[in-house]
Amino acid sequence: MLAMKRDSNVPKAMTISPSLFVMLLWALSTAPVGDAIWLNLPKTGTKCVSEEIHSNVVVLADYVVVSVDDGQTAPVAVKVTSPYGNDLHHRENVTYGRFAFTTEEAGNYLACFWSDNHSSATGEIVVNIDWKTGIAAKDWESVARKEKLEGVELELRKLEGAVEAIHENLLYLKSREVEMRSMSETTNARVAWFSIMSLGTCIVVSGLQVWYLKRFFQKKKLI
Amino acid sequence: MEQRRGEMWALMCFLLLNWVSNVSSLSVTVTDVECVYEYVLYEGDTVSGNFVVVDHDIFWSSDHPGIDFIVTSPGGNIIHSLKGTAGDKFEFSAQRSGMYKFCFHNAYTTPETVAFHIHIGHIPSEQDLAKDEHLNPINVKIAKLREALESVTAEQKYLKARDTLHRHTNESTRKSVIGYTVGEYILLVAASVLQVFYIRRLFSKSVAYNRV
Repeated sequence: MLAMKRDSNVPKAMTISPSLFVMLLWALSTAPVGDAIWLNLPKTGTKCVSEEIHSNVVVLADYVVVSVDDGQTAPVAVKVTSPYGNDLHHRENVTYGRFAFTTEEAGNYLACFWSDNHSSATGEIVVNIDWKTGIAAKDWESVARKEKLEGVELELRKLEGAVEAIHENLLYLKSREVEMRSMSETTNARVAWFSIMSLGTCIVVSGLQVWYLKRFFQKKKLI
Repeated sequence: MEQRRGEMWALMCFLLLNWVSNVSSLSVTVTDVECVYEYVLYEGDTVSGNFVVVDHDIFWSSDHPGIDFIVTSPGGNIIHSLKGTAGDKFEFSAQRSGMYKFCFHNAYTTPETVAFHIHIGHIPSEQDLAKDEHLNPINVKIAKLREALESVTAEQKYLKARDTLHRHTNESTRKSVIGYTVGEYILLVAASVLQVFYIRRLFSKSVAYNRV
């Protein structure tokens, strides 16, 4: 899937310009519960992150390229694919972007980044990905505006949303467990049947052998 | 220029004081070393999470060393280290703010897919309450509730990843059962047919008649 270099550098002394930092903080704070991890892109090869998501879930992600040397941001290319191979988002030569989609099929959604080799950046490129699914991708600003909530009420509404998401997740896990249990029981029954059948086949085949050889020797008048 | 910088810093401080808590839940493929970085904004935050090796080769024998998980602080110290495991939970309190590095090391060459979940939880303390007049004690209680709900969500993500792993194992078992059984039958029938042909050949006229 990707060619990866051995990681040896920690981006310790990062000189990020204030405007970029503000943009980052904005990306982090507009959706309070979100995913903001930083990834090191090697000079060649792609780096992919994936998540197994079931159908009908909203996915929202922001990505920003943060460069480690001299404030220059190198452009990257990004591609997001669905489990069936469809291209959901494909951009080349960008330094920031955002994509959003609602999952139609359940499976592994893959987001891959690689560096567009046009730049002469010497260091490794660092990409900040803010990946939110489900309840975390919900737009609380519009809910707050529509229902005129603010402050503590809004926080409590967010908590209520989180509890509902937990309940849904639990039901989903329960259905998965039911599927897996039926699969295990089928496999168990199959193992038992196939072992008995194999014993039966063994007996039948050896019986046929003995009968055929007896007929053969009788024909040859040896017995 | 000075005023613009002041405005920029004010905007940054405003954004910082917004409640920001990070939740990460993704999978990466680890060939040799894979590192994920997360920024911890406040010192004293609790960093918790879990990871599960989802896609490992089904023939992972019992003496496979497993995957190593190492957390490095911004100062370069190793805070947390788990060796040779196929999945675990972790939790520690961040002593300082900064960029934390979460690394997965794979000792073998076969790539493994690791599904991880990292959560950085912040509960406003009394000092934060004193500094910002928009926060009142109920915000502390709400933050504690939120952290408790996040821990339930984290546990669910862990269970989901383990469920995926068990499903892979089950499907591989199912395929193996069918494949090996059909192969066994074919081999059995082929072996007995070959036996019969061999015995016939032993008694055939072209070979010396009573040699056997």
